[in-house]
Amino acid sequence: MSAPKTAVMRIACGLAACGLGWAACALPDSSNFNRPHAKPYSQDRAHHHGILVDDRTGRLAARLSGTGTVAQAAPASPNAAQPAPQPPTAGDRTRVLPYPTARVRVRVIDGRTMQPLSGAEVVLIETEERHTTGADGWTTWFRAPVIRNPRYRPMVAELHGQLGVIAYKNGYRDSIHLGIRMHEGYDTETTVWMYKLGPGDTRIEPVLYQVPYHHIWLVELADKFRSKTQPGEGPERP
Amino acid sequence: MTSRSRPARVALGTLAAAACVAVWPPAGVQAARPATIYNTSPPSVIRVAIRGLNPDGESDPRGRILWVQTVPYDEYCEDVLPNEWMPSWHPEALKAGAMAVKMFAWFHHLHPVTIDGFTFDVDNTVNFQSFRYYSRQPETTRAVQAVRPYAYVRPNGEIVELNYRAGYRNSPNWQYRNAQKMAQWGSQYWAERGRNYVQILQFYYMDRALRPIR
Repeated sequence: MSAPKTAVMRIACGLAACGLGWAACALPDSSNFNRPHAKPYSQDRAHHHGILVDDRTGRLAARLSGTGTVAQAAPASPNAAQPAPQPPTAGDRTRVLPYPTARVRVRVIDGRTMQPLSGAEVVLIETEERHTTGADGWTTWFRAPVIRNPRYRPMVAELHGQLGVIAYKNGYRDSIHLGIRMHEGYDTETTVWMYKLGPGDTRIEPVLYQVPYHHIWLVELADKFRSKTQPGEGPERP
Repeated sequence: MTSRSRPARVALGTLAAAACVAVWPPAGVQAARPATIYNTSPPSVIRVAIRGLNPDGESDPRGRILWVQTVPYDEYCEDVLPNEWMPSWHPEALKAGAMAVKMFAWFHHLHPVTIDGFTFDVDNTVNFQSFRYYSRQPETTRAVQAVRPYAYVRPNGEIVELNYRAGYRNSPNWQYRNAQKMAQWGSQYWAERGRNYVQILQFYYMDRALRPIR
């Protein structure tokens, strides 16, 4: 059973943690949008991370080698006519994100009746994309980045990326849903629970649900730093 | 009551008791008979105890039981697997996990417990299996559906608990085989090396067999 949602003050904390990597190295540089001769944002960021994203499929197209050459999917000729770089719009930012992507769709339900909510607006925090739920409560499938928290070194890299969405619907509390588990190349579905406003609601604040870390990763993480002098519960054993 | 009628009644009672024994075995004998896939059917629902949250918002294995939720059995399996296995793992590892999740739940459905006045089959924490409502993912749901027609039981059909633990990455996790528990990382290790889910289950659980469910 999903944890009951509570309005908490951790929202700001959670958002800050979730967006740490984003703020550090991936916030869209809006100044580039107004500079037509500036290096395209996507190239810049992708080169920085050594990753290219195929605009059509959203998947990794090539990984740059250590010398900065493209290992595969290299352009035919450097002199070939290049289309003028177009600034990305809010709706297509996933195409230029320096992260691998995966498909995701969001379902919004009434947390008390468990019935799907149509017409709810779902905002993907990382890309600012907006989607509206249909009659069955689902949004359409869309591509979203798989962002692992950069605070952790590769040795303890998370087994899944995390995303956050906010759902809005008139007559309901806003629902912030953080930590959606994302995996490169794999479809993800998630359900946002919304709660109807009632006459007794005097202090109306957003509802937060934080998807917990996968416990497979937590077990691995704790084992990695365990010392022999203070083993705690000791290594995982059958 | 007269002294003459007493022996006659005792004799009648003895006859009746004997008849009962002949027709209905004593309760103790009946309980000892193992539950198999031939004398039980897969559960349609399962009773899940919902435990209170720890301060981080996750259900606490030592938290207070708040209520018992009745969940359709298939939905339960679908909402457990992504929280126990990684949806991005190999499909055969997911199928092995789906079978373990399913048989673990089936066994505990047959052996409910009562704690703090609540009778339930499983709870929603790692005391049993991690369960989050509506957390199912397409990859893991496909794995659950793929193993739905089968059960992994003793050769005589007896339903036994398929237990598992996390194990260690990039290792066959032999120690878990010795303990008759599947290592979750081990299932991924073997799937990446070309073993199918039955072979993975055979590696970790001895003296078990795949059987179709009627």
